[in-house]
Amino acid sequence: MNIWMILLFSLVKIFIIVNVMLITVSYLVYFERRVSAWAQNRLGPNRVGWEGVLQPFADVLKLLLKEDIVPDAANKPIHTLAPIIALFVAFTTYAVIPFGPSISIFGYTVPLVVADINIGILYVLALTSLGVYAITLAGWSSGSKYSLFGGIRSSAQMISYEISMGFSVGGVLLLAGSLRPEAIVEAQQGWMWNAILQPIGFITFLVSAFAETNRLPFDLPEAEPELVGGYHTEYSSMKFAGFFLAEYANMIVASAMIVTLYLGGWRFPYLENFGLSAGWFAIISVITFFVKVAALLFFFIWVRWSLPRFRYDQLMNLGWKVMFPLSLLNIIWVAALIMIFKI
Amino acid sequence: MPKFVLDGKEIEFKPGQTIIQAAKDHGITIPHFCWHESLSVAGNCRVCLVEIEKMPKLAIACSTTAAEGMVVYTASEKALGARNAVMEFLLINHPLDCPICDEAGECKLQDYAYSHSAGESRFVEEKNHKDKRVPLGPYVMFDGDRCISCSRCIRFCDEIAKDNELTFVKRGDRVTITTFPGEELDNPYSLNVTDICPVGALTNRDFRFRARVWDMSANKTICTGCSRGCNIELWVRNNEILRITPRQNEEVNTFWMCDHGRINTFKFVNAEDRVDGPHIRKEGKLVKVEWNEALTQAASKLKKFAKNEIAFIGSAFATLEDNYLLVKFAHSLGVKNIDFIRHYIPSFADNILRREDMTPNSLGAEAVGVKPSQGGLNIDGIINGIKEKKIKAVYLIDDDIAAAFPELEEELAKLDLLIVNATNINKSASVADIVFPAATYAEKNGTFVNFQGRVQRLKPAVATVEDDRALDGLEMSRLDKFGTKFDRWAQGHKYDAKSSWKILSALSIEMGFKLKFNMAEDVFSEIAKNTKAFSGLDYDVIGELGAQSKLQPEEKIITT
Amino acid sequence: MAVKKREKDLTLLEKMYIPEIVKGLSLTMKNMFKPKFTMKYPEEKFIPPASYRGRPVLVMEENGEERCVACGLCSRVCPALAIEVQAAETEREKERYPVKFEINMLRCIFCGFCEEVCPEEAIVMSKDYELAFSHREDAIYGKDKLLTPVIQLKDRIEFLRSYK
Repeated sequence: MNIWMILLFSLVKIFIIVNVMLITVSYLVYFERRVSAWAQNRLGPNRVGWEGVLQPFADVLKLLLKEDIVPDAANKPIHTLAPIIALFVAFTTYAVIPFGPSISIFGYTVPLVVADINIGILYVLALTSLGVYAITLAGWSSGSKYSLFGGIRSSAQMISYEISMGFSVGGVLLLAGSLRPEAIVEAQQGWMWNAILQPIGFITFLVSAFAETNRLPFDLPEAEPELVGGYHTEYSSMKFAGFFLAEYANMIVASAMIVTLYLGGWRFPYLENFGLSAGWFAIISVITFFVKVAALLFFFIWVRWSLPRFRYDQLMNLGWKVMFPLSLLNIIWVAALIMIFKI
Repeated sequence: MPKFVLDGKEIEFKPGQTIIQAAKDHGITIPHFCWHESLSVAGNCRVCLVEIEKMPKLAIACSTTAAEGMVVYTASEKALGARNAVMEFLLINHPLDCPICDEAGECKLQDYAYSHSAGESRFVEEKNHKDKRVPLGPYVMFDGDRCISCSRCIRFCDEIAKDNELTFVKRGDRVTITTFPGEELDNPYSLNVTDICPVGALTNRDFRFRARVWDMSANKTICTGCSRGCNIELWVRNNEILRITPRQNEEVNTFWMCDHGRINTFKFVNAEDRVDGPHIRKEGKLVKVEWNEALTQAASKLKKFAKNEIAFIGSAFATLEDNYLLVKFAHSLGVKNIDFIRHYIPSFADNILRREDMTPNSLGAEAVGVKPSQGGLNIDGIINGIKEKKIKAVYLIDDDIAAAFPELEEELAKLDLLIVNATNINKSASVADIVFPAATYAEKNGTFVNFQGRVQRLKPAVATVEDDRALDGLEMSRLDKFGTKFDRWAQGHKYDAKSSWKILSALSIEMGFKLKFNMAEDVFSEIAKNTKAFSGLDYDVIGELGAQSKLQPEEKIITT
Repeated sequence: MAVKKREKDLTLLEKMYIPEIVKGLSLTMKNMFKPKFTMKYPEEKFIPPASYRGRPVLVMEENGEERCVACGLCSRVCPALAIEVQAAETEREKERYPVKFEINMLRCIFCGFCEEVCPEEAIVMSKDYELAFSHREDAIYGKDKLLTPVIQLKDRIEFLRSYK
């Protein structure tokens, strides 16, 4: 396969993924509003289009038409840069996540991942760490105390939870023996999901993922009742929409990561034993992947509308005194598994 | 001085004083309806019942003379019980129509019903009905239902107005008040009965239903109806004067004022023809212009005339401050022709309050120098000068020369320059070349000198464009305090008008000689410094009740 | 600093969070399938009970006259100073009527004091809650908008009487 074909396929994949992400994000917002409404015995947005399906477009249109306000005290270049970083991080992280098996098109074998690199997991960890810059910079450059508090909280929170996240991933890496996401998926054949083999690691990673995406119960950086809007207090119009988009894109990335690392990725248990043609196998695998991601997304939303926010000291307590030791424990557990069962 | 004990407190009294009067002198008010300090004692309302030791029955405080060693209780169980009973009797036939009644809010019966009565009536029968809405005279409306037959109005007409017009008719609970056959309650003081009526039986037809008492602000000032200078309160709501009531000043008007002052002296303030902003005659028409334009034009035009071609006419309607500035202004220009117009109506005067001099400040105008200087023309001279075309420019403040001398109207129109500081578009203003909007007496600070030589203070009650109610010390009603510019009831029109002295001061700066003052008070302190008659006086000394100057009281001219 | 003691300490199980989280999640999940309370407003309208305090209105008698005698008590008691009344004399038996009665609906806080203080039962709170304007001027309701036939207000008047 020559370099041009690789480039072409990559571009097509990027195009598809970015668009799917964007549409998914906007519907995710709609979905979140409906689910929250149901949880509160309400109906939610149901006016724009049939049952409100056009609501996301109305929202986007509204945000586009809003006035873009930049505070006088803001550092303007950084104020503009922050949402761009946020979006950049959210979208690029997705590059290494496989969403299906390799397929062959016109005689070419195409892996269903944008960049099949052998240090994919490191790449993910590196980029998610970058994400903290978006929020910290946004908070600092706005020139507002609420934003600044939001930014500071965010950096403290993300750094704290990155550690337990990293250690949790360590367990997965021990079992897979590779940093390639594809390899990690391969390692979870049948029901050998990492979630089942290392439940503690799964839970610590899940909790850390919530914290990394700034979702409730860990949304202290925006904490409306105390910080107005936290780091995005001073943002409006499309810059605000950028953060909004990034938050939901992060959710999708986090869900996809969890699926890849712990829930068997795109694999439908024992599907290869059903004797399907390669085409059907690929289609069912991709659908499986999306269903898993969707279920996790629902979980994200469900948790948001069920649990209250942590207090700041509770958050730090949980991160350092509970999550961190638990993730270490998980590594020992996995090591023990390997020792005993010689996997 | 002899003493007696009132509610455990020993108080002094003058021999012959009644208990209620002695108590009042010591600041203790015993409830009363029919008793009035300056009227004879009738003793028919019975609400001032007090318990006196060693007396078998309760006695009414208004007609029991105080005696040495008397021990009086106004709030003992017996006295209170009696007062409650009296209130219950009074309320038997009194209709419960406070929502309709104008007196509500300043009604004695309402107050005492609140403080002294049981709160509920045991009377279930039909109340007595009498004539309602009976016009007793041109200004007073009578409501028989509400009357508690205290006879204050009857005694007022007999004793103060000296005009027996009212009387009781019928007996018992059918008793009511009416005028004698063929008579009307039309004496010149008739409206005072609405003030002294303790209930809403007698109401002011001019003010009837215009506003509730609690919505208005009461501003203490001086009546401009004649040279008596009765102390009054201007009642203002939404920047509009709605009524005038007298306030007590033993030296000037005691409790009263005449109907002329009450009815005829405030309506021009909010009239249609008020001058709102400076006007200049352009192509035969008065056109509203900016202050700067009017001032520059007035200054440049005034400069064109020789000293003896100009005449300044002050005003006995204007304050001391206004007249003082006019005199100073004229003297700065070297003009000697200064005087003011006298308004005497001998038939207006009487022996009670009214004076034949219909202006509030003629003594003061003269005292600050509104009179021709050596070789200058007095008012008659000025008029002749205008007729003979010797006087070519006239500056007139706060008066209407064309109305005072009707034969002069055409001549005035032909004058080369006529500048008028006018409150309303009157005959003079309508032929003037430049009209400055003058503030009315209700819109400015200042002082008047009445016929006794008493200096009394005017306080603004109506805000003009340059005033802020709170900052400029105007009285504020509840509505003024809480209104915003979006509330209609806070949007009463504010005229763009200034006191004449302010206009003259601004004009002097334009002319190049600076008569600069910040406040009316500053002008007055200069007057007090320069004029012997007012030395030692300032606004604080004058206060609310005025202060005597060293001016000789005007001779009392009674023609009837 | 004195440490305030908790009213109730968490048990070990509660301290482990997870069972409690599951409890919370199951509660919201249950609610997702319960019937909804939402009223589809413009199509479906809320009909308030008699105790509801909507827009204050003036009672119009059957003969088309207002009950109000313009005593101004509502205007006095109104904590938001929303009511302006101008009285005038009338030939009718009640002597006095409001020549102008305006309520600034931007100021009104629907406290119902005006209704409570009214000696004539002339101003009552209606069931009308549909108030929207596009200009400040439109928010000032004059007599034309305030006068409401007594028949439409029967509910409220009966309710008021039952508490007197």
